[in-house]
Amino acid sequence: MASKFGLAGGIPERRVRPIWDAIDSRQFKNALKLLTSLLSKYPKSPYALALKALIHERMGKPDEALTVCLDAKELLYKDDSSLMDDLTLSTLQIVFQRLDHLDLATGCYAHACGRFPNNLELMMGLFNCYVREYSFVKQQQTAIKMYKLAGEERFLLWAVCSIQLQVLCDKSGEKLLLLAEGLLKKHIASHSMHEPEALMVYISLLEQQSKYNDALQVLSGNLGSLLVIEVDKLRIQGRLLARARDYSAAVDVYKKILELSPDDWECFLQYLGCLFEDDSVWKLFDDTDQIHPIKNIECKFSHLTEEMFDSRISSASELVQKLQRDTENSNLRGPHLAAIEIEKRKFLYGKKNESELLKSLLQYFLKFGHLACYASDVEAFLQVLPPHKKAEFVGMLVKNADSVSESATVVLGQTTTILKVQELTGNIFELPLGEIEASTVKLAKLYCQNLPLSKDLDPQESMFGEELLSLISNMLVQLFWRTRDFCYLAEAIMVLEFGLSIRGHVWQYKILLLHIYSYIGALPLAFQRYKALDVKNILTETVSHHILRQMLESPMWVDLSNLLQDYLKFMDDHLKESADLTFLAYRHRNYSKVIEFVLFKQRLQQSNQYEAVRVEASLLQLKQSADSIEEEERVLENLKSGVQLVELSNEMGSRTLRFNEDMETRPWWTPCPEKNYLLGSFEDFSYCPKENVNKDREENVRRAIQRKSLVPRMIYLSIQCSATALKESLETNGSGGDIKTCVELKSLLEEYTKTLGSSLSDAVDMITEISQGARPSESLGSDLVDWLNFAVFWNAWSLSSQEHWHVLNLLFEKLILDRIKSMGSSDMSSCYSDVQVLVQIITEPLAWHGLVIQACTRSSLPSGKKKKKAQHSDHLPSSPMSQAIKDSIHSLCSTVQEVSNWLLNQINNPEDDQVEKFLSTLKRNEDAGGPGQVLGVLESFITSSEESEVGSRIFEALKTWSKEDSARKTVMAQQSVLREFLQICESKKKLLEKLKQQMSHV
Amino acid sequence: MVCIRRATVDDLLAMQACNLMCLPENYQMKYYLYHILSWPQLLYVAEDYNGRIVGYVLAKMEEESNECHGHITSLAVLRTHRKLGLATKLMTAAQAAMEQVYGAEYVSLHVRRSNRAAFNLYTETLGYQINDVEAKYYADGEDAYDMRKNLKGKQIHQHHSAGHAHHHHGGGCCSADAKPVETTTQAEATSSK
Repeated sequence: MASKFGLAGGIPERRVRPIWDAIDSRQFKNALKLLTSLLSKYPKSPYALALKALIHERMGKPDEALTVCLDAKELLYKDDSSLMDDLTLSTLQIVFQRLDHLDLATGCYAHACGRFPNNLELMMGLFNCYVREYSFVKQQQTAIKMYKLAGEERFLLWAVCSIQLQVLCDKSGEKLLLLAEGLLKKHIASHSMHEPEALMVYISLLEQQSKYNDALQVLSGNLGSLLVIEVDKLRIQGRLLARARDYSAAVDVYKKILELSPDDWECFLQYLGCLFEDDSVWKLFDDTDQIHPIKNIECKFSHLTEEMFDSRISSASELVQKLQRDTENSNLRGPHLAAIEIEKRKFLYGKKNESELLKSLLQYFLKFGHLACYASDVEAFLQVLPPHKKAEFVGMLVKNADSVSESATVVLGQTTTILKVQELTGNIFELPLGEIEASTVKLAKLYCQNLPLSKDLDPQESMFGEELLSLISNMLVQLFWRTRDFCYLAEAIMVLEFGLSIRGHVWQYKILLLHIYSYIGALPLAFQRYKALDVKNILTETVSHHILRQMLESPMWVDLSNLLQDYLKFMDDHLKESADLTFLAYRHRNYSKVIEFVLFKQRLQQSNQYEAVRVEASLLQLKQSADSIEEEERVLENLKSGVQLVELSNEMGSRTLRFNEDMETRPWWTPCPEKNYLLGSFEDFSYCPKENVNKDREENVRRAIQRKSLVPRMIYLSIQCSATALKESLETNGSGGDIKTCVELKSLLEEYTKTLGSSLSDAVDMITEISQGARPSESLGSDLVDWLNFAVFWNAWSLSSQEHWHVLNLLFEKLILDRIKSMGSSDMSSCYSDVQVLVQIITEPLAWHGLVIQACTRSSLPSGKKKKKAQHSDHLPSSPMSQAIKDSIHSLCSTVQEVSNWLLNQINNPEDDQVEKFLSTLKRNEDAGGPGQVLGVLESFITSSEESEVGSRIFEALKTWSKEDSARKTVMAQQSVLREFLQICESKKKLLEKLKQQMSHV
Repeated sequence: MVCIRRATVDDLLAMQACNLMCLPENYQMKYYLYHILSWPQLLYVAEDYNGRIVGYVLAKMEEESNECHGHITSLAVLRTHRKLGLATKLMTAAQAAMEQVYGAEYVSLHVRRSNRAAFNLYTETLGYQINDVEAKYYADGEDAYDMRKNLKGKQIHQHHSAGHAHHHHGGGCCSADAKPVETTTQAEATSSK
């Protein structure tokens, strides 16, 4: 075979090396020069050609690269004497992969393997090709061949993995598991087994078939010694026993683990599960869909008599007491938390032991209440308590914390904990305003008093009392919500900005600010805070929900486009490259990771956000180009006229959607992107914990993607309908559009209305009645923009009806003017949600309608020759439809003008005046209470603080912080949003003016 | 502790969220994947009582040198969960696996000169010693201590290094395309901006 010593693809290594070096150092021109001389000597060498293709590809010439690659491939196939080594093939593979032609690479390897059936290296290359294509069946077949050839354990396990993947991903071939089991058994009988990972695969294979006892036998046999870490082995044993329902044996194993590792909480829960013969605990560990697992586990007791329950719970108590004794001198929390868990189980069983449960929580508080993790530790226990008991518990904490007079850090920690518990239980929303206000002042003072504690800390260390500022700001936002006094919100901004200047890395401050700024329309600042979180890689999947929705509803198209592109780039790249990494796991014989990793890739691929962003990225392009029908048509062409997105919409109903977003980091007032309590009133609010918001979102998200992915196609069809409509109406006075287009548009309209929860005819009634004032526009709810979109496409479908045009004009007028009226002269901070709606109306339905008009108008002009326009249009008689178009243009013009006027009115307000106004809200009357007190505390601390007390770093930060700066930045950010929006409106107006002129000749 | 357990690929989501709340790192996702797919036995997470990942350790084996040794790539614990001994437990677990699974003779790591808290943890609690100082190791120009700790090096299982030799332009899985070791070590976990 070819690649012999010193030869690379039949060419001496020394001749090839400089070319690779040039490629590696990106000197492609040089590489090409060297290669040309090499090719002159080896004109028929597939390897040399493969290198040439690689250089072309790296130089950004994919077409040339593909041609050369195909030449090389042809040489390989044709010439029997040709060298067919892995090096040539793998070089070709790289290029084919980068050109998105995995199939061609696979073809080359398959061909080579056919020619040299006993070459292991080539077979490995072929296996790798199938890994890249996720062809599990082919992988299996290739691996089996390799196993037969070489008899190595690893190839057998590659085959077994491929079988498991078929079952897990393709949901097929369960019988194959039996085959895999047989192969492994046979191999073990003759060769035994040598790697821990192989054993893990064997066990998982048996588990997959529910053969728990067989798996247990394997584990306790000779092979079990492959697992060297004792606790690992015990954990598997416990799990298998539990799944085999051999609960008493499982209990013993779990006890053993707990004695070895008393703080293993997962093990303790499994111990309890087995003790009570209750398998619901496994749900907790099986549910991998949530980024954070469900906190509250169900408990089943109905199969136990009271006597059984009592005896078992008392044996659990004994164990826990023993664990507590054994770990007395360490600060392990597990055994103490276990004591609470036992009281919780009793409570859930119906033992009426509320007071013991509270007592155990209090005990835990006395021991660990000063730690930042207390609140999240006990969250799950608090959830089972009835509201009045939660309140009672808060009372107990307050009473007991006061009686403790320990070190400053303990007092600080406990105070913070109590507030966090109040937030968790919702108790904080039941307090009277005055009490909340007093509390914010008290906490601000506490924060300031304790700053000296952090004097000597490294800047990256967590500060004492850091969380207090987040808690204060949360309360201030609540005060704003309940009083609608903007000062509280302004104060919350100041508190957080103050905190950030002292500790620039605190992510909580950034996230809270991001959401407050978003609410008041200071979006550029919100985006800045988001960027400061340094969100990248997989975090774009888990964290970008904080900003994505606001950006989608904003006029900040440049930043939005970057946000969408960054996210898509990460996801696309990962999905493209992950297969290479899968092979890494195969090569390192980490079989269980192969499976995890392939499933992980699937999880990302099914991400709801990924689907949504792909649709939004297309829509953004359409929005950006809507003022020019020619540009829009180019965008549509790239989108394949929206056909693929329609397919996506059709598939949406049956697709699995995964929710990888981390919602726990969101502030209380917006637990998920679709909800913002601040937009409603406090009176309608009922507190609900943040848990599982993703579950509720699923249906809405699915429908939204379904609906939005229809839009590009509907735009395309509307343009098609309009292109012929006016001409036809002028000529025949009949209804326009070609039949096929109309039929398709109608069916999409039906689909679209379905996602709005309505039939087509009901939807038409709805918009007609709203336009006539027979129904309030509020009945459109939060889908208002989507309804307007519907109205636009419905009109495009039936252009000949003047009445439809009229309905649409009225709708635009009504919905836009209603908003302007309600905004009146109030400033942006209090009406940004209205601005957001206006932005969407103008940039979506109104823009699409603009395209319809552009298409109609264009068709009335002679093609390409504008000079002849006047002449030509002289021949055209006016028709009812052209009158309808004119009316519509006129109506839109004046409506958009109203929006521009409102914006100008806001923008012309001098910046200094606005800053002054912002700051004046923060001034307060001495001793009068009300907002501004917290800021007062912080300001007086700044003036009185001394460098020796707080250290130079904090001192510096205190002196450089300025509320004027914060106020000005906020105002400027709001202004910039307004200006961006005004620009869009002006551009729409210009377009409408142009159309008006064009139509004046018709 | 809570539960110190081996990391799964799915944990990656929460592990990176941990970074957001902990220390900004500049690791590419590929770098995590490279670790977990190559040395899964060396990645541990600390899972808190409510199932949340509150810390992790990322480690690898150095394959090229004669002496087989482990290297701690990254250690992170949430700010809310510091001073509970989690870092020590994560480190101990990773070190034990290096020794028992791979027969490592010693373990090395880099730490910022200015990171006193981490330095104390490594020297006082975990018994590391300074082996060398690497000047301007970090992207921002700060020096790193190169620290080491001897392990017993008791070899229980033969560690299989990469099965077959790859030409460095060949496969693309461990080679040119995914060789993040060289490009990302500059951004050690211990940095903060």
